[in-house]
Amino acid sequence: MNRLGQGIGYGWRVIATGLSFAIFGIGGVLMSLTVFPLLRLFCGSDARATKRASQRAVHYSWRFFIWFMKSVGILTWEVRGAERLLQPGRLIIANHPSLLDVVFMISRMPMVDCIVKPAILRNPFMRGPASWAGYIPNGDPERLIEDCSRTLREGNSLLMFPEGTRTSPGQPIQMKRGAAQIALAAEVEILPVTITVVPTTLTKSEAWYQIPSRPFHVTLTAAEPLSLTRFLQGGASRATAARHVTEYLEDYFTQSAAAQTAEVCARIGGIAPMPV
Amino acid sequence: MQNQQEIYEKLREVLVELFEIDPAKISLQANLYTDLDIDSIDAVDLVIKLKEITGKKIQAEEFKQVRTVNDVVETLHNLLNASAA
Repeated sequence: MNRLGQGIGYGWRVIATGLSFAIFGIGGVLMSLTVFPLLRLFCGSDARATKRASQRAVHYSWRFFIWFMKSVGILTWEVRGAERLLQPGRLIIANHPSLLDVVFMISRMPMVDCIVKPAILRNPFMRGPASWAGYIPNGDPERLIEDCSRTLREGNSLLMFPEGTRTSPGQPIQMKRGAAQIALAAEVEILPVTITVVPTTLTKSEAWYQIPSRPFHVTLTAAEPLSLTRFLQGGASRATAARHVTEYLEDYFTQSAAAQTAEVCARIGGIAPMPV
Repeated sequence: MQNQQEIYEKLREVLVELFEIDPAKISLQANLYTDLDIDSIDAVDLVIKLKEITGKKIQAEEFKQVRTVNDVVETLHNLLNASAA
Protein backbone atom coordinates (compact mmCIF):
# COMPACT_ATOMS: atom_id res chain seq x y z
CA MET A 1 0.00 0.00 0.00
CA ASN A 2 1.47 3.40 -0.87
CA ARG A 3 2.19 6.09 1.70
CA LEU A 4 -0.99 8.04 0.96
CA GLY A 5 -3.12 4.94 1.27
CA GLN A 6 -1.46 4.10 4.56
CA GLY A 7 -1.93 7.64 5.80
CA ILE A 8 -5.61 7.67 4.94
CA GLY A 9 -6.02 4.25 6.51
CA TYR A 10 -4.30 5.45 9.67
CA GLY A 11 -6.37 8.60 9.81
CA TRP A 12 -9.56 6.64 9.39
CA ARG A 13 -8.60 4.25 12.17
CA VAL A 14 -7.88 7.13 14.55
CA ILE A 15 -11.42 8.35 13.98
CA ALA A 16 -12.85 4.85 14.16
CA THR A 17 -11.01 4.14 17.42
CA GLY A 18 -12.32 7.30 19.04
CA LEU A 19 -15.78 6.42 17.81
CA SER A 20 -15.45 2.92 19.25
CA PHE A 21 -14.53 4.21 22.70
CA ALA A 22 -17.51 6.56 22.58
CA ILE A 23 -19.87 3.81 21.51
CA PHE A 24 -18.60 1.50 24.22
CA GLY A 25 -18.94 4.08 26.96
CA ILE A 26 -22.25 5.55 25.88
CA GLY A 27 -23.63 2.12 25.09
CA GLY A 28 -22.82 0.97 28.60
CA VAL A 29 -24.54 3.96 30.14
CA LEU A 30 -27.60 3.61 27.90
CA MET A 31 -27.92 -0.05 28.72
CA SER A 32 -27.80 0.78 32.41
CA LEU A 33 -30.74 3.11 31.89
CA THR A 34 -32.83 0.86 29.68
CA VAL A 35 -31.93 -2.77 29.09
CA PHE A 36 -30.81 -3.80 32.56
CA PRO A 37 -33.72 -2.24 34.49
CA LEU A 38 -36.11 -3.85 31.99
CA LEU A 39 -34.50 -7.22 32.58
CA ARG A 40 -34.92 -6.76 36.31
CA LEU A 41 -38.55 -5.97 35.75
CA PHE A 42 -39.05 -9.22 33.83
CA CYS A 43 -37.11 -11.28 36.34
CA GLY A 44 -38.99 -9.87 39.32
CA SER A 45 -37.47 -10.76 42.66
CA ASP A 46 -35.18 -13.41 41.23
CA ALA A 47 -31.82 -11.67 41.59
CA ARG A 48 -29.95 -14.61 40.15
CA ALA A 49 -32.07 -14.60 37.01
CA THR A 50 -31.51 -10.86 36.62
CA LYS A 51 -27.78 -11.39 36.89
CA ARG A 52 -27.82 -14.18 34.32
CA ALA A 53 -29.95 -12.17 31.93
CA SER A 54 -27.70 -9.14 32.38
CA GLN A 55 -24.64 -11.28 31.65
CA ARG A 56 -26.25 -12.40 28.42
CA ALA A 57 -27.08 -8.81 27.53
CA VAL A 58 -23.47 -7.75 28.14
CA HIS A 59 -22.31 -10.74 26.08
CA TYR A 60 -24.45 -9.81 23.07
CA SER A 61 -23.66 -6.11 23.27
CA TRP A 62 -19.92 -6.77 23.45
CA ARG A 63 -20.18 -9.26 20.61
CA PHE A 64 -21.78 -6.49 18.56
CA PHE A 65 -19.07 -4.08 19.67
CA ILE A 66 -16.32 -6.37 18.41
CA TRP A 67 -18.17 -6.89 15.15
CA PHE A 68 -18.35 -3.10 14.86
CA MET A 69 -14.61 -2.62 15.40
CA LYS A 70 -13.87 -5.27 12.80
CA SER A 71 -16.30 -3.68 10.33
CA VAL A 72 -14.67 -0.28 10.59
CA GLY A 73 -11.29 -1.87 10.07
CA ILE A 74 -9.66 -1.32 13.45
CA LEU A 75 -9.00 -4.97 14.16
CA THR A 76 -9.24 -8.56 13.07
CA TRP A 77 -9.56 -11.47 15.44
CA GLU A 78 -9.63 -15.23 15.83
CA VAL A 79 -10.46 -17.72 18.58
CA ARG A 80 -9.12 -21.24 18.88
CA GLY A 81 -10.71 -23.80 21.16
CA ALA A 82 -13.88 -21.72 21.54
CA GLU A 83 -15.94 -24.77 22.46
CA ARG A 84 -13.77 -25.27 25.56
CA LEU A 85 -14.99 -21.91 26.86
CA LEU A 86 -18.59 -23.07 26.86
CA GLN A 87 -18.16 -25.98 29.28
CA PRO A 88 -19.80 -25.17 32.62
CA GLY A 89 -17.99 -25.01 35.95
CA ARG A 90 -14.66 -23.99 34.47
CA LEU A 91 -12.10 -21.70 36.08
CA ILE A 92 -10.87 -19.75 33.07
CA ILE A 93 -7.57 -17.99 33.45
CA ALA A 94 -6.19 -15.59 30.89
CA ASN A 95 -3.21 -13.31 30.53
CA HIS A 96 -3.96 -9.62 30.15
CA PRO A 97 -2.09 -7.68 27.51
CA SER A 98 -4.70 -5.10 26.55
CA LEU A 99 -7.85 -3.18 27.47
CA LEU A 100 -9.97 -5.33 25.18
CA ASP A 101 -9.22 -8.65 26.85
CA VAL A 102 -12.28 -8.83 29.05
CA VAL A 103 -14.50 -7.59 26.20
CA PHE A 104 -13.27 -10.35 23.89
CA MET A 105 -13.56 -13.05 26.51
CA ILE A 106 -17.10 -12.12 27.53
CA SER A 107 -18.10 -11.87 23.88
CA ARG A 108 -17.27 -15.58 23.57
CA MET A 109 -19.18 -16.68 26.70
CA PRO A 110 -22.90 -15.92 27.18
CA MET A 111 -22.82 -16.55 30.92
CA VAL A 112 -19.75 -16.30 33.07
CA ASP A 113 -18.82 -14.74 36.38
CA CYS A 114 -15.77 -12.55 36.30
CA ILE A 115 -13.42 -11.16 38.91
CA VAL A 116 -12.53 -7.56 38.20
CA LYS A 117 -10.36 -5.02 39.94
CA PRO A 118 -12.41 -2.66 42.11
CA ALA A 119 -11.50 0.29 39.86
CA ILE A 120 -13.69 -1.19 37.12
CA LEU A 121 -16.74 -0.86 39.35
CA ARG A 122 -15.92 2.82 39.85
CA ASN A 123 -15.28 3.55 36.15
CA PRO A 124 -18.36 5.48 34.96
CA PHE A 125 -18.64 3.55 31.68
CA MET A 126 -17.84 0.07 32.89
CA ARG A 127 -19.65 0.08 36.17
CA GLY A 128 -23.14 -0.28 34.72
CA PRO A 129 -22.51 -3.50 32.80
CA ALA A 130 -20.04 -4.81 35.40
CA SER A 131 -22.34 -4.42 38.38
CA TRP A 132 -25.50 -5.64 36.64
CA ALA A 133 -23.61 -8.69 35.40
CA GLY A 134 -22.50 -9.30 38.98
CA TYR A 135 -18.78 -9.14 38.31
CA ILE A 136 -16.91 -9.74 41.54
CA PRO A 137 -14.46 -7.15 42.89
CA ASN A 138 -11.28 -8.78 44.19
CA GLY A 139 -11.62 -7.48 47.72
CA ASP A 140 -11.31 -9.52 50.91
CA PRO A 141 -9.41 -12.65 49.86
CA GLU A 142 -11.06 -15.08 52.27
CA ARG A 143 -14.55 -14.09 51.22
CA LEU A 144 -13.47 -14.14 47.59
CA ILE A 145 -12.15 -17.68 47.77
CA GLU A 146 -15.28 -18.84 49.55
CA ASP A 147 -17.65 -17.14 47.08
CA CYS A 148 -15.70 -18.29 44.05
CA SER A 149 -15.41 -21.91 45.22
CA ARG A 150 -19.13 -21.96 45.80
CA THR A 151 -20.06 -20.54 42.41
CA LEU A 152 -17.74 -22.99 40.67
CA ARG A 153 -19.17 -25.94 42.56
CA GLU A 154 -22.65 -24.80 41.56
CA GLY A 155 -21.56 -25.26 37.95
CA ASN A 156 -20.93 -21.67 36.94
CA SER A 157 -17.80 -20.71 35.08
CA LEU A 158 -15.47 -18.08 36.45
CA LEU A 159 -13.10 -15.84 34.52
CA MET A 160 -9.96 -14.43 36.12
CA PHE A 161 -6.98 -12.38 35.08
CA PRO A 162 -4.40 -13.32 37.72
CA GLU A 163 -2.05 -10.50 36.79
CA GLY A 164 -4.60 -8.20 38.40
CA THR A 165 -3.85 -5.55 35.81
CA ARG A 166 -2.52 -5.34 32.26
CA THR A 167 0.92 -6.78 31.57
CA SER A 168 3.66 -4.17 31.54
CA PRO A 169 5.12 -4.50 28.04
CA GLY A 170 8.65 -5.82 28.07
CA GLN A 171 8.22 -7.03 31.63
CA PRO A 172 7.81 -10.69 32.58
CA ILE A 173 4.32 -11.83 33.45
CA GLN A 174 3.65 -11.62 37.20
CA MET A 175 0.58 -13.20 38.68
CA LYS A 176 -1.08 -12.87 42.05
CA ARG A 177 -1.72 -16.07 43.98
CA GLY A 178 -5.48 -15.61 44.21
CA ALA A 179 -6.29 -17.63 41.10
CA ALA A 180 -4.22 -20.58 42.28
CA GLN A 181 -5.77 -20.37 45.76
CA ILE A 182 -9.28 -20.40 44.31
CA ALA A 183 -8.50 -23.28 41.97
CA LEU A 184 -7.01 -25.35 44.80
CA ALA A 185 -9.81 -24.51 47.24
CA ALA A 186 -12.54 -25.32 44.72
CA GLU A 187 -10.63 -28.36 43.45
CA VAL A 188 -11.26 -27.54 39.80
CA GLU A 189 -9.18 -27.66 36.66
CA ILE A 190 -7.82 -24.45 35.16
CA LEU A 191 -8.66 -23.57 31.57
CA PRO A 192 -5.81 -21.36 30.31
CA VAL A 193 -6.57 -18.83 27.58
CA THR A 194 -3.67 -17.08 25.89
CA ILE A 195 -4.47 -13.65 24.52
CA THR A 196 -2.18 -11.83 22.16
CA VAL A 197 -2.55 -8.52 20.35
CA VAL A 198 -0.35 -7.86 17.31
CA PRO A 199 0.84 -5.15 16.91
CA THR A 200 0.51 -4.35 20.59
CA THR A 201 -2.01 -1.67 21.47
CA LEU A 202 -4.16 -0.51 24.37
CA THR A 203 -1.47 -1.74 26.73
CA LYS A 204 -0.45 -0.20 30.00
CA SER A 205 2.27 1.84 28.35
CA GLU A 206 0.28 3.42 25.54
CA ALA A 207 -2.42 6.09 25.53
CA TRP A 208 -5.62 5.06 23.76
CA TYR A 209 -4.97 7.42 20.87
CA GLN A 210 -1.58 5.88 20.06
CA ILE A 211 -3.04 3.85 17.25
CA PRO A 212 -0.84 1.07 15.82
CA SER A 213 0.51 1.33 12.30
CA ARG A 214 -1.99 -1.22 10.99
CA PRO A 215 -5.22 -2.90 12.12
CA PHE A 216 -4.33 -5.07 15.07
CA HIS A 217 -5.02 -8.77 15.27
CA VAL A 218 -6.35 -10.31 18.47
CA THR A 219 -5.86 -14.03 19.03
CA LEU A 220 -7.46 -16.01 21.84
CA THR A 221 -6.40 -19.60 22.34
CA ALA A 222 -8.16 -21.81 24.87
CA ALA A 223 -5.84 -24.70 25.59
CA GLU A 224 -6.52 -28.07 27.24
CA PRO A 225 -7.66 -27.82 30.86
CA LEU A 226 -4.90 -28.09 33.40
CA SER A 227 -5.30 -30.32 36.45
CA LEU A 228 -3.65 -29.20 39.67
CA THR A 229 -3.52 -32.50 41.55
CA ARG A 230 0.19 -32.95 40.96
CA PHE A 231 0.92 -29.72 42.83
CA LEU A 232 -0.64 -31.22 45.96
CA GLN A 233 1.32 -34.44 45.82
CA GLY A 234 3.92 -35.26 48.41
CA GLY A 235 1.77 -33.67 51.09
CA ALA A 236 2.54 -30.15 49.94
CA SER A 237 0.70 -27.52 51.95
CA ARG A 238 -1.94 -25.45 50.22
CA ALA A 239 0.22 -22.38 50.63
CA THR A 240 3.19 -24.00 48.92
CA ALA A 241 1.01 -25.48 46.19
CA ALA A 242 -0.49 -22.07 45.50
CA ARG A 243 2.99 -20.63 45.05
CA HIS A 244 4.05 -23.42 42.71
CA VAL A 245 0.87 -23.21 40.66
CA THR A 246 1.30 -19.46 40.30
CA GLU A 247 4.91 -19.84 39.16
CA TYR A 248 3.83 -22.54 36.73
CA LEU A 249 1.13 -20.27 35.29
CA GLU A 250 3.55 -17.37 34.93
CA ASP A 251 5.96 -19.57 32.97
CA TYR A 252 3.16 -21.11 30.97
CA PHE A 253 1.69 -17.81 29.85
CA THR A 254 5.03 -16.16 29.21
CA GLN A 255 5.95 -19.00 26.91
CA SER A 256 2.56 -19.40 25.21
CA ALA A 257 2.12 -15.66 24.64
CA ALA A 258 5.58 -15.38 23.10
CA ALA A 259 5.00 -18.39 20.86
CA GLN A 260 1.57 -17.17 19.80
CA THR A 261 2.87 -13.66 19.08
CA ALA A 262 5.70 -15.02 16.96
CA GLU A 263 3.34 -17.28 15.07
CA VAL A 264 0.84 -14.49 14.36
CA CYS A 265 3.60 -12.13 13.27
CA ALA A 266 4.96 -14.72 10.89
CA ARG A 267 1.50 -15.29 9.47
CA ILE A 268 0.36 -11.69 8.96
CA GLY A 269 3.83 -10.64 8.11
CA GLY A 270 5.88 -7.51 8.17
CA ILE A 271 5.95 -6.86 11.91
CA ALA A 272 8.82 -7.58 14.26
CA PRO A 273 7.68 -9.52 17.36
CA MET A 274 7.65 -7.61 20.66
CA PRO A 275 10.52 -8.81 22.83
CA VAL A 276 9.19 -10.45 25.98
CA MET B 1 8.24 -23.38 73.95
CA GLN B 2 8.67 -20.89 76.71
CA ASN B 3 11.00 -18.06 75.91
CA GLN B 4 10.82 -15.79 72.93
CA GLN B 5 14.03 -17.09 71.39
CA GLU B 6 12.65 -20.63 71.21
CA ILE B 7 9.45 -19.35 69.77
CA TYR B 8 11.32 -17.37 67.15
CA GLU B 9 13.40 -20.40 66.11
CA LYS B 10 10.32 -22.56 65.76
CA LEU B 11 8.50 -19.86 63.85
CA ARG B 12 11.37 -19.59 61.37
CA GLU B 13 11.11 -23.32 60.73
CA VAL B 14 7.39 -23.07 60.14
CA LEU B 15 7.73 -20.12 57.77
CA VAL B 16 10.33 -21.87 55.68
CA GLU B 17 8.43 -25.13 55.57
CA LEU B 18 4.97 -23.70 54.95
CA PHE B 19 5.79 -20.90 52.53
CA GLU B 20 9.23 -21.83 51.17
CA ILE B 21 10.61 -18.51 52.34
CA ASP B 22 14.36 -18.01 52.03
CA PRO B 23 15.63 -18.29 55.64
CA ALA B 24 18.03 -15.40 55.08
CA LYS B 25 15.04 -13.08 54.68
CA ILE B 26 13.54 -13.90 58.07
CA SER B 27 14.38 -11.55 60.91
CA LEU B 28 12.44 -10.16 63.86
CA GLN B 29 11.79 -6.89 62.02
CA ALA B 30 10.75 -8.54 58.77
CA ASN B 31 7.29 -7.47 57.71
CA LEU B 32 5.17 -10.52 56.92
CA TYR B 33 3.38 -8.92 54.03
CA THR B 34 5.94 -6.71 52.34
CA ASP B 35 9.17 -8.58 53.11
CA LEU B 36 8.06 -12.20 53.25
CA ASP B 37 5.27 -12.17 50.66
CA ILE B 38 2.69 -13.67 53.01
CA ASP B 39 -0.86 -12.76 52.11
CA SER B 40 -4.00 -12.95 54.23
CA ILE B 41 -4.82 -16.45 53.00
CA ASP B 42 -1.35 -17.59 54.04
CA ALA B 43 -1.95 -15.94 57.42
CA VAL B 44 -4.95 -18.22 57.96
CA ASP B 45 -2.85 -21.27 57.12
CA LEU B 46 -0.13 -20.02 59.46
CA VAL B 47 -2.55 -19.71 62.37
CA ILE B 48 -3.82 -23.24 61.70
CA LYS B 49 -0.27 -24.56 61.74
CA LEU B 50 0.54 -22.70 64.95
CA LYS B 51 -2.56 -24.20 66.57
CA GLU B 52 -1.33 -27.66 65.61
CA ILE B 53 2.14 -27.07 66.97
CA THR B 54 1.20 -25.41 70.24
CA GLY B 55 -1.88 -27.51 70.85
CA LYS B 56 -3.58 -24.34 72.02
CA LYS B 57 -6.75 -22.74 70.81
CA ILE B 58 -5.56 -19.70 68.89
CA GLN B 59 -8.11 -17.24 67.60
CA ALA B 60 -7.41 -15.70 64.23
CA GLU B 61 -8.39 -12.32 65.68
CA GLU B 62 -5.31 -12.41 67.93
CA PHE B 63 -3.23 -12.10 64.80
CA LYS B 64 -5.18 -9.36 63.04
CA GLN B 65 -2.79 -6.67 64.26
CA VAL B 66 0.31 -8.65 63.51
CA ARG B 67 2.68 -7.10 60.97
CA THR B 68 6.21 -8.28 61.71
CA VAL B 69 7.81 -11.55 62.73
CA ASN B 70 8.43 -10.03 66.14
CA ASP B 71 4.70 -9.32 66.50
CA VAL B 72 3.98 -13.01 65.90
CA VAL B 73 6.62 -14.07 68.43
CA GLU B 74 5.24 -11.73 71.08
CA THR B 75 1.63 -12.69 70.46
CA LEU B 76 2.50 -16.36 70.71
CA HIS B 77 4.57 -15.77 73.82
CA ASN B 78 1.65 -14.02 75.51
CA LEU B 79 -0.79 -16.74 74.49
CA LEU B 80 1.40 -19.59 75.68
CA ASN B 81 2.32 -18.00 78.98
CA ALA B 82 -1.10 -16.58 79.72
CA SER B 83 -2.69 -20.02 79.83
CA ALA B 84 0.19 -21.42 81.87
CA ALA B 85 -0.18 -18.73 84.54
